[in-house]
Amino acid sequence: MSEQHHHIVPIKMILTVGAILVFLTILTVFIGYLHLPNPYNVIAGIGIAVIKASLVVMFFMNLYWERRRFNIMVFLAGIVFLTVFVGITLLDTLHRAHITPGF
Amino acid sequence: MAQANVATEREAFVQHHFVNAEQQFDTAKLGMWIFLVTEILFFGGLFCSYVVFRTWYPHTFMEASSHLDKLLGGADTVDLICSSVTMALAIHYIQKGNERMTMIMLGITFLFGAAFIGSHAYEWLDEMSHGIYPGKAYAFKGISGSHAYVFFSLYYLMTGLHGIHVLIGMGLMAWLMVKTKRGRFSAKYYTPIEITGLYWHFVDLIWIFLLPLLYLVD
Repeated sequence: MSEQHHHIVPIKMILTVGAILVFLTILTVFIGYLHLPNPYNVIAGIGIAVIKASLVVMFFMNLYWERRRFNIMVFLAGIVFLTVFVGITLLDTLHRAHITPGF
Repeated sequence: MAQANVATEREAFVQHHFVNAEQQFDTAKLGMWIFLVTEILFFGGLFCSYVVFRTWYPHTFMEASSHLDKLLGGADTVDLICSSVTMALAIHYIQKGNERMTMIMLGITFLFGAAFIGSHAYEWLDEMSHGIYPGKAYAFKGISGSHAYVFFSLYYLMTGLHGIHVLIGMGLMAWLMVKTKRGRFSAKYYTPIEITGLYWHFVDLIWIFLLPLLYLVD
């Protein structure tokens, strides 16, 4: 029972994920210089950020190999909280006739 | 389940209220994940403000964002990704029982953190030399849209809060290096390195979102 079965991530895997993350960073900065029209620049920027974040969470924070699914649930619950937080705030602020406070 | 038998099997690092080393490790990790959720919401307040003000003043935000140096932001991101790689390698090496390489990797992670802070100090001073201060002290005239100071106040708050996290992370690296040097960690017990790794990758994660929101939205 007390033996450990921790997943040891191979060095090759760590370096590959790192290289992909660096590539995606260069790509997103390059797209930034293209000055895409308004909705698309945000979609591209956030889209690439979500891909990068998923790689970090899965392969660096080890959720991909996690034996305890509970940790994955805790993390996803955090994302849900954040969505509720921002989403419900926007329901108010997006539909105001006058922006208050006035700064 | 003879109690004496259980007692002799216990490793010295297992605290009395845990069944075994594995349960202690899992408990520490779960605790860290719950802490990271509170961190998501901590930064969430600033992300939420950003979204609200961006929907109110979209053109000002785009214009103000173009004033920030995209290349510098990208370089900071690459720096943090490299530090995440060395952190992951530190965990890899301690799992293999290689304390020397663990020390080296923790040291490199610390240096990447220091480089990030240095780069940010340079960026802040550069902004401030143009009169871009947070809040009411804002004195930059180069942006035509109204409320540009809201963008830059959020910029200082978000990068500042993130920078504080990097500084704390560097402190943790130093602490881990001292403990590794004293031989406290091994392939069997490396929980502090593992959960500090989770924290450090989380700090990287936040920056991954700050890069497009602050530097690339124009």
